[in-house]
Amino acid sequence: MPYSELIKNFERIRDYMRQFYVYGFKSRSEYDSKSARSYDNERRRIESWLGDYMSFRTTAEGKNVFISVDSRAAERNPLYNAFRAKSFTDGSITLYFYILDLLSGGETLSVQEIVDGISEKYLSVFENAEEFDVSTVRKKLKEYAELGILKAEKRGKENVFGLCENKIDLKSWSEALAFYTEEDPLGVIGTFLPKKPESEIVFRFKHHYILNALDSDILCDILIAMSEHRCVEVAATSKRNNDVIHIHNVYPMKIYISTQNGRQYLLCYHYAYRQPMFFRLDSIHSVKAGAAEKQHEKYEGYYEKLKENIWGVSVGEPFSMDHIEIVLYIEREEEFIARRLEREKRCGKVERLDVNRVKFTADVFDAGEMIPWIRTFTGRIERLSCSNKSVEKQIFADFDAMKALYGGDEDAL
Amino acid sequence: MLFNEIYGKYFAAVSEIIKAAQSGKLTEKELYAIVQREAFGESALTIPQMLKEEKWPVLKKDLSTPLEHTSERPLTLLEKRWLKSLVSDPRIKLFDFSAEGLEGIEPLYPPETFVYFDRYSNGDPFDDPEYIHNFKTVLKAIKEKRKVYIEFTGHRGTDQKRNCIVHRLEYSSKDDKFRIIASGDRYSVIINMARITKCELMGEYSEEEYKPKMPVKKEVVFELYDERNALERAMLHFSHLEKETEKIGDKKYRVKLLYEQEDETEILIRLLSFGPVLKVLSPQSLIAQIRKRIEKQEKLRTQK
Repeated sequence: MPYSELIKNFERIRDYMRQFYVYGFKSRSEYDSKSARSYDNERRRIESWLGDYMSFRTTAEGKNVFISVDSRAAERNPLYNAFRAKSFTDGSITLYFYILDLLSGGETLSVQEIVDGISEKYLSVFENAEEFDVSTVRKKLKEYAELGILKAEKRGKENVFGLCENKIDLKSWSEALAFYTEEDPLGVIGTFLPKKPESEIVFRFKHHYILNALDSDILCDILIAMSEHRCVEVAATSKRNNDVIHIHNVYPMKIYISTQNGRQYLLCYHYAYRQPMFFRLDSIHSVKAGAAEKQHEKYEGYYEKLKENIWGVSVGEPFSMDHIEIVLYIEREEEFIARRLEREKRCGKVERLDVNRVKFTADVFDAGEMIPWIRTFTGRIERLSCSNKSVEKQIFADFDAMKALYGGDEDAL
Repeated sequence: MLFNEIYGKYFAAVSEIIKAAQSGKLTEKELYAIVQREAFGESALTIPQMLKEEKWPVLKKDLSTPLEHTSERPLTLLEKRWLKSLVSDPRIKLFDFSAEGLEGIEPLYPPETFVYFDRYSNGDPFDDPEYIHNFKTVLKAIKEKRKVYIEFTGHRGTDQKRNCIVHRLEYSSKDDKFRIIASGDRYSVIINMARITKCELMGEYSEEEYKPKMPVKKEVVFELYDERNALERAMLHFSHLEKETEKIGDKKYRVKLLYEQEDETEILIRLLSFGPVLKVLSPQSLIAQIRKRIEKQEKLRTQK
């Protein structure tokens, strides 16, 4: 197969794009699990889609390719381009324009009428154009009806097809689309819209994690299943399982999104493990919708009970609860620290002990998840206790290590 | 479901080419220009050739087309469902739009599907009529290239007034807040939208007056030891910033990040959140602040 900038399957390129974007320090030879030609082709494709966002650096190990984007300065998410590179056959693109053109007058036509119309109106104009057979056209019409651009009706005994009505005034949406196309978890759909209103660049986005775009296809399949209360079969890998794909039957409940690192997670009820579980969307390779879950309200009820004690994306193992108490010492001019605590706590409560002391108390499934957040208060933690002693130990060991790291020991890292 | 050829750039480019052909204005040069504008970097190697060789027989040799209609394709069900979901988003009130055509369409998801679990809880009041009015006024000012008169409460609680040109509306998902990036004669200013108490549209500004200030960028360099999955965590955590990563030893990496000067304190606490697997090498000002916090922490521990 000659090289093409279009692709049939998104999965492989998803992995390359992630690696180029997230890491960007690997040289060609380090992508050893794939063939060199495959690497070259994928790199060339991504370069074609992303243009100036691709950067290169030459090191002793070779040329490193990476994607570097300051998402605050980038006007649009360049990674969305990848979803607009699906390959197709010559017949497919030709039929698309013929069918839309034939039906644009507002009439409804049968498959045979469409085949005849294509032959008379278009193919007769070209010397070497090949005719389309009825079954190919029928298949395409069915596909377009499923996508919702055509409507299928009965005329006597035969099926007839017409264009779906388009009453939506996208122009009226221009400002909303400029915002949601970048901000919504499925904003990539905003880039698909035909006759998109070109609007002024009005918005920019801070703390904007654009990598999620690469999981849009997976997210979309999950959302469709969720909207129908269906269980799903998820094919996912995990580091714990040496990146081997495992199939899980689950009932999807929520999508958890971190605004601080961009990771997205599926929170679901795992039928085999009989407990709620989180899966990172970037570890999911495919999603297959199953039967509708008759007891969906029961599982959704589980979530209502759980949510108050989930700090991040862990429900602990097993379901033990950790109790944590932190007292912060704040100077007179550091009132903003108390406000920070109030706005950043996700559960638990904040109490004022005296002018200089604020106490935070919480019961969470996995206090280990709180460690990075607790470290951000370094310099203000007067007391800390946790029923999970390993968490307590870790935090104090980290303080000691930090002291050594910045206290003159040059090689402490 | 989502990865479909009809959403592709090739289809969009060919659609534009057909439109140009129908208007009788298509030239060879224009054909390449459309491909360059609508498709990818290397699409010019494929699309014109496929059309000329009639592999995609929609364009005749004389660059005319037998296709008669110029109407766009209807929206797919997925596109409609996505738009319908936006109608229920808490921030949609900030925008004017027509929901006509979405009657009877099931939203792709209700807003409660997504849980932004580490989002700060003091987000903007998107329901407040005054906030909505101010937001729409600023939006209009940007679009119509007009100045605005703004009264707002500053960070220290003082009332302030400004006649300014707004360059951008900036949204942070973490803060769930909008801020306006603006400038006046001799200053540039960033104002939280929720702090604005009065906002009025003023006259148009000239192009000479439009001088958005480029943010001052600073560079932090740190070493990272890949323990407890620190490499992946850090790479994702800072992935929204311009960065360069280099492997310098076994499980050891050097990372260079660019950040905006006004975000220094935020960057500092984010670096601290990684604990001892990350060591800042420069700038010295940041290292000094980290040392100060470690010393303060040590004092608090020994005072017990």
